[in-house]
Amino acid sequence: MDKIDESLLSELKQGIPLTPQPFNSIASKIGLTPDEALARLVKLKETGVIRRFGACIKPNDVGLNANAVIAWNVPADRVNEVGHYLGSFREITHCYERQTIPERWPYNLYMVMHAQEREAIEQITKLLSETIGVDDYVILYSKRDLKKVAIKENQP
Amino acid sequence: MTIKSTLSPDAKPQLDETDKRILQILQESFPLVENPWKELSCKIGLPENELVSRIEHLCSAGVIQKIAPTVDSSKVGYTCATLVALRVPEEKVDKVAAVINQYRNISHNYEREHDYNVWFTLVTQSQEELTRILNEIIQKTGLRQSDVLNLPTAQRFKINVNFQLTTVLGEKSHGQN
Repeated sequence: MDKIDESLLSELKQGIPLTPQPFNSIASKIGLTPDEALARLVKLKETGVIRRFGACIKPNDVGLNANAVIAWNVPADRVNEVGHYLGSFREITHCYERQTIPERWPYNLYMVMHAQEREAIEQITKLLSETIGVDDYVILYSKRDLKKVAIKENQP
Repeated sequence: MTIKSTLSPDAKPQLDETDKRILQILQESFPLVENPWKELSCKIGLPENELVSRIEHLCSAGVIQKIAPTVDSSKVGYTCATLVALRVPEEKVDKVAAVINQYRNISHNYEREHDYNVWFTLVTQSQEELTRILNEIIQKTGLRQSDVLNLPTAQRFKINVNFQLTTVLGEKSHGQN
């Protein structure tokens, strides 16, 4: 990852243009040939700096109207096993272990699920709960994307 | 070539099976070659001009926000990550959200149905920066420490934001770590 990679990623932040050769204009903006730019992108993807290269879509528009974070209280010695298991389902887009807060917040395993409706999230969670044998969990349905709330003028 | 005009910016777009197939493939991996549309056209089995018009439609209808790389923040120096939950009175949620959104280190920020109702993720280059930003947010919003849950990431099992458009639960995917 060098300065040129950084400029390349920065140019691509807003997405590629829908032109016949979308990478050509981006490459020329930072003084690279298309081949050089593409070779860099392939390398960034291979090394995992680019986690994914593809379309960003709004789940609501493709019928996935419900999403929730589900937080589980999993015995410490089972976190790895359960984390990998939950992560293996396509409906689960994220699965993380997090630190707990003693006496305030016992949940240590978090997953994000998208589904067509809340009932599906509830049912799937119940099913997963039975399968993994963990019944202490909380479903945190998302109500609103707050990133859309306007930012005030002065940046910190 | 005519395209079924099912998408409009106002209404919720109606997607047919072909649109779904396009979206599925476009989400997963975009070909990093000089003419990606040609390669996609072979992969999806649609003429290139129809494929491109459909993609243009999906973009203008807002279904596709962009076609772009997602960078793994932990690989570009942002090694500290946390999920923060705040307990905020209903009428103050927008105000608090605006304070949080000022920071470029915020990747997600959602209102959720729980006693703790504002949940955001924060990534920073150091522990000090994380503590500083969190303290600033608490100070600016006038919340008490007892209204804040700071839940640092201990381990990542999966992150793979490819929305499944066609199947039901039970089909296993390969989690990316």
